[in-house]
Amino acid sequence: MNLQIVSYGKKGQLKIQQMAFMLMAVTLFFVMVGMFLLVLMFSQLRESASLLEEKNALLLVTKLANSPEFSCGEAFGSNRINCVDADKVMMLKGNMEEYSGFWGVAKIEIRKIYPDNENVLCDGGNYDNCGVIEILSKNVNMLPPSSNYISLCRKDSYEDEIYDKCELALLMVSSEDKT
Amino acid sequence: MNSRGYLQISFAWIFAIIVGVFILILAIYATTKFIGSEETTLSAKTGKEVGILLNPLETSFESAQVTFFTMPVETRIYNKCDDFGEFGKQIIQISQKSFNRWTETDIDVSFENKYIFSDKEAEGKKFYVFSKPFEFPFKVADLMYIIPSAKKYCFVNPPVEIEEEIDNLNQDNLLLEEDCSNNDIKICFGSGNCEINVNYNGKYVEKDDGRIYFEGDTLMYAGIFADKDVYECQLIRLMKRTKNLALIYRDKSIFVSRIGCYSDLNLLALSNSAGNLKGSDDLSSINNIVEEIEGENEFANCKLW
Repeated sequence: MNLQIVSYGKKGQLKIQQMAFMLMAVTLFFVMVGMFLLVLMFSQLRESASLLEEKNALLLVTKLANSPEFSCGEAFGSNRINCVDADKVMMLKGNMEEYSGFWGVAKIEIRKIYPDNENVLCDGGNYDNCGVIEILSKNVNMLPPSSNYISLCRKDSYEDEIYDKCELALLMVSSEDKT
Repeated sequence: MNSRGYLQISFAWIFAIIVGVFILILAIYATTKFIGSEETTLSAKTGKEVGILLNPLETSFESAQVTFFTMPVETRIYNKCDDFGEFGKQIIQISQKSFNRWTETDIDVSFENKYIFSDKEAEGKKFYVFSKPFEFPFKVADLMYIIPSAKKYCFVNPPVEIEEEIDNLNQDNLLLEEDCSNNDIKICFGSGNCEINVNYNGKYVEKDDGRIYFEGDTLMYAGIFADKDVYECQLIRLMKRTKNLALIYRDKSIFVSRIGCYSDLNLLALSNSAGNLKGSDDLSSINNIVEEIEGENEFANCKLW
């Protein structure tokens, strides 16, 4: 009689153990599926954040030349579309600490196309003979740049005569790669 | 014996039921959280998209331009403004109707280079965005006025230039007196007892929430379409940008003087006054400096802007 009771209890314990393991396995399975979904969701979220950043750069570059910090206004005669004031941009470059997060992009630069001065970075000293004005450059991973053609104008002088000098250039904007 | 047997449930069953219920509760909790985070993600994404879509509204020659955007569902755009920092921040929060309830959101999408003038809470499916450049005396920014299409404004006795502008904009919800209905929000210029009263010569707008002062038509529209708090905060942000632009123009004037291009403008005074603006009632004192600088730049040897 006693032996019978012990044997029944062991069987029951075994069943409970089996069920506990089964439940743990089911729980673990669902936790793992959940984690997989979360990882997938976050990677999609990062991707859409990068896409939005790219869209921002694309839409921004078409209008950035006309924003107050860049545009020529009437400094070179009448109002012109996609005309960037190089003198003003050089001064903006010197005040970039304040503007670092202003446009929400990682890099803004102006690359002269003609005359081509290759990759010579512009500063106050070589301003007349340089090729690239690097306005903003953050130390982050960047997406390929979006660009727009502009006319880059500045005041120059020849034999005490002041004149407007305009060159063909490319305004390039890159956003941060968040993937 | 029978009644005892009827109530008998083995320990295995009790254990299974408890753990099963626990798993079910956990699954329901996770699903709810997942839906909540999806709603939050969607709100943040929509907010960012709204801000990005405003980029093409940057004006070049135009005195104003108008566009609209339509949301897939009823949407509330919360317009928040933060004047702290170098340029302050334009903050957008989006809440959308889902299963007949408004999604809760605490995600702020912020932009430093946007200036949106609207009610603190704009609700609708279709929104008009009307943008206009603000010059003080140089171009400072493009102001965006976001108005739900269902909200109609009626301009009563406006000055000729405002009447022409409203007519040219052809925006469905900005109407002139002859097209108005009784339900429209009336904006009276000069005398009248309307929801919004504009004293064009005194340069102020009076509404339920108080009086705001303006300089120029761009700020007048801002005063009409925005709540007082939003207007005052955005004005401070605009003056912060004016301050920084004035410093850039001052540096430019020194830089171009090396080739004999002289322009002696009091930009430092403008920068200081703009940076210290506390509210719209200080605007007229800055305007005196602005008018002086504007005249000097117009007749300068080398125009700075």
